[in-house]
Amino acid sequence: MARVAEGDERGFTELVRRYQGRVTNLVSRVLNDREASDDLAQEVFVRVFVHRRNYRRGSKFSTWLFTIAANLAKNEIRRRVRRRNWFSLDALQEMVGDSAIQLADAREGQDVTLERGQVQEAVGRAIATVPEKYRLALILRDIEGFAYDEIGQMLGIPGGTVRSRINRARGMLKRKLQPLIRRDVT
Amino acid sequence: MNCKQVRKLFGAYWDDEVTQAEREWLEAHFASCAACRTAYEDLGRTLELVGSLPRIDVAADFAERVVARARRATAEPDRLVGGAPRWIPITAAAALVAVIGATVIQWVGPNMVPTRPGTTLTTPSIAQPTLVTSVTKDGHSPDASAAARQIASGMTQIPDSLFDHDEDIEFILDPVTLKKGRALTVVRAPQEPPRAQQAVITF
Repeated sequence: MARVAEGDERGFTELVRRYQGRVTNLVSRVLNDREASDDLAQEVFVRVFVHRRNYRRGSKFSTWLFTIAANLAKNEIRRRVRRRNWFSLDALQEMVGDSAIQLADAREGQDVTLERGQVQEAVGRAIATVPEKYRLALILRDIEGFAYDEIGQMLGIPGGTVRSRINRARGMLKRKLQPLIRRDVT
Repeated sequence: MNCKQVRKLFGAYWDDEVTQAEREWLEAHFASCAACRTAYEDLGRTLELVGSLPRIDVAADFAERVVARARRATAEPDRLVGGAPRWIPITAAAALVAVIGATVIQWVGPNMVPTRPGTTLTTPSIAQPTLVTSVTKDGHSPDASAAARQIASGMTQIPDSLFDHDEDIEFILDPVTLKKGRALTVVRAPQEPPRAQQAVITF
């Protein structure tokens, strides 16, 4: 990052290659939108480059990077909620509800085997229905594997709040995925 | 330890953040409570599903596109930092000056009212409208009985229509200045002898 701060483009390219997967994954899971996540992940790195002089040496680069990513993802969710016509939580909940109903029916009698891809899609949709502030904490912890104090720094909240948000998000997700987790998945 | 307390520790137990004592309590409770054990297993399965989601593939040219975009962004002026329109600070400064000015005027208001010789300050509160007789040259009003006599004699000279008489009647509306929520009425005495009959209406 020290090289990047001095405007070294090669250093910046290396940095992008090192973190592109995690950043894209984070924004993709937060938005549940594969296509938009590519553009937003690019924007994260552009912000890093433009504001490279604001990076404080000695602090952890990944924390700074994911703070920017989390903020941009939050802004994007809010922008979409404002637009409403593009992104409807109700529609998402409906889709998750439908898949849950199908799974519940399957449990009752028919021997329906779910493809792993379908399960993953249902899980992704269920995560997208968790309210934004809980969702971000959940993804940073249970998908990206960050420590609680790092998540606190990224989201600008105390460690206790991080814990309670993650616990609430996990509880919500467990209820939403109840039909999925009570059956065998191939 | 009851079920409610146990369930509060599920997250910490999953994250391996419980103390040794809490771990022993939890495991002893799981051995005796099937409902809590099942609830914890469901949570575990949920988090396994979340954790097993595949990583999103990134396009091969992602880094090159980012670098090109970053180059363009640094070449252009940054609209995010310091991009506020210039009129905003100017307008804010003007508004601040106006507020300060208004405050100062309000505090020193009565002292700024130009005074003339012979000016007197009357009641410091809003008085009921009264008819004040003409003010004499030295700025003092005659007593009430003299005023009444003057009005009575004057009444005989006032024609039926105000618009018909030969001499003008001048009405002076006193300026009222507010200071700290109190109204001060300033009566300005005429400098010259009245040219005609004069009435001062005080509010």
